[in-house]
Amino acid sequence: MDERPPPAVPRNHTRTARVLQALIVLFGGLAVAFLLRPWANPAPLAPIPLVDKAFLDTATVRRSYADLVSAKEDLSDFDCYACHEKNKPPVLRYDANRNLIVPQEHSDIVMGHGEHGRNNNCFNCHDETNLEQLQTRDGRVLKFQDSPQLCGSCHGPTFEDWEVGAHGRISGYWDRQLGPYKQQACVNCHNPHSPRFPSRKPAPGPHLLRPPIAVPTEPADVH
Amino acid sequence: MNRRSFLRTSAVLASGLAALAASLSPLRDLGDYTTLDRFVQKYYKELTPEEMAKVLKRIEAEVERQYGIRPHVRDLKPMDGVEFVYALNLTRCIGCRKCVHACVQENNQSRTPEIQYIRVLRLPHGSLDIDNAEHNYAPESVPEKGYFYMPVQCQQCKNPPCVKVCPVHATWQETDGITVIDYDWCIGCRYCEAACPYWARRFNFTKPSIPKDRLNPDMAYLGNRPRRQGVMEKCHFCIQRTRVGRYPACLEVCPAGARKFGNILDPNSEVSYILRTKRVFIQLKEEMGTSPRFFYYFDV
Repeated sequence: MDERPPPAVPRNHTRTARVLQALIVLFGGLAVAFLLRPWANPAPLAPIPLVDKAFLDTATVRRSYADLVSAKEDLSDFDCYACHEKNKPPVLRYDANRNLIVPQEHSDIVMGHGEHGRNNNCFNCHDETNLEQLQTRDGRVLKFQDSPQLCGSCHGPTFEDWEVGAHGRISGYWDRQLGPYKQQACVNCHNPHSPRFPSRKPAPGPHLLRPPIAVPTEPADVH
Repeated sequence: MNRRSFLRTSAVLASGLAALAASLSPLRDLGDYTTLDRFVQKYYKELTPEEMAKVLKRIEAEVERQYGIRPHVRDLKPMDGVEFVYALNLTRCIGCRKCVHACVQENNQSRTPEIQYIRVLRLPHGSLDIDNAEHNYAPESVPEKGYFYMPVQCQQCKNPPCVKVCPVHATWQETDGITVIDYDWCIGCRYCEAACPYWARRFNFTKPSIPKDRLNPDMAYLGNRPRRQGVMEKCHFCIQRTRVGRYPACLEVCPAGARKFGNILDPNSEVSYILRTKRVFIQLKEEMGTSPRFFYYFDV
């Protein structure tokens, strides 16, 4: 009877205590890890700079005479007879190459209508007998507000496109039943004296996560 | 049980419960991801008008809580006898990217990380190799000599591959031709992104961030209401504008008048005139059979 081994209870107690201690450490560590979650919180992205609001502006490149009239702004630039004399057509001067010499008083005007130089005569469009009017080559006289008719007298196909809204800018309602729309005139985008559409600074492109890799302009010589 | 083992066992239980609670703690942030109302919300096409009104109220409250601005969210349906078509004049586009940013502003896209619906490609004259086009160009001024520019956005295909692959019908084509996404139904699997040949779909990898002063409060359910993390989004022809008769934002901001939009079923619309009379040069990747409602054309 005495050969029975001694009861294992005290030894088991020690082992249980160790296991429990290990569990406390494990659970405690897990709790801390779950709360901090270092793996789930990557470094926040550096904020991408917001685009300049100037790029969101829907204004046209230029303002037309009609815009200035409707905004009741200063029209003194269009008051020709403040300087010119009535009933006395101004005399145009040309240099040796038949290029118009723009008088100092009009030095803000850059003559660049067409590349052939034939359109450098002020009175192709302005009426020499009344400088506050425009004239077409076929003899119609137009107010400054009606300048698209003048442009259309030479640029027929573009004018046709513009009339139906296929050339130029439109804003407002595509559904004419539901609201108004505004169609911009030729001179809202084109400077009549130099009509090529002006170039401009582009808005920022897609944001790159990393700086662009420099690509050699010439293919590398592998041979 | 003696006192010592009782204390030990309680300590194990306490730390175990603490670990369990900590492991469940991310659920506290679930409010950003879904609410019970959204979780039990029905499919868009099955919502009754009363239920839709409730959903719109919920969205308005959510946006107000997040941004401090009470938006006006509407559920706009397609108009009868209207099919939208976009036409873009490659002769006129100067590549200024104003459309890109006007779109971001109008449609409440995330600013960080950046999500943009329009990608402007720069191509050398005489080529149409769009796979090798450049979209990171940054010159002092545009247009540059020897290049033309081609903005690409959702082409609103008649035969949209993105709709075919969606496993949960969270994206579909409406009668006016706009392919829409229900952001509350999307599961974010990104199949549509893979299927789209125009790289037009964008995914919200993280929670989108929009500065409060740049939030557009005029919103539509299928349009520009703020998205959440894990859903797709894309150009929807400015549903919140075009379905009430207005022009899209990218068109109104274009300084060159290169963008034209309208109802192709109306013979007097600008787009009808353009498709009738102009040299309409491509539907992008025409050979894919997607039949885009977005046309590129030239003036001459």
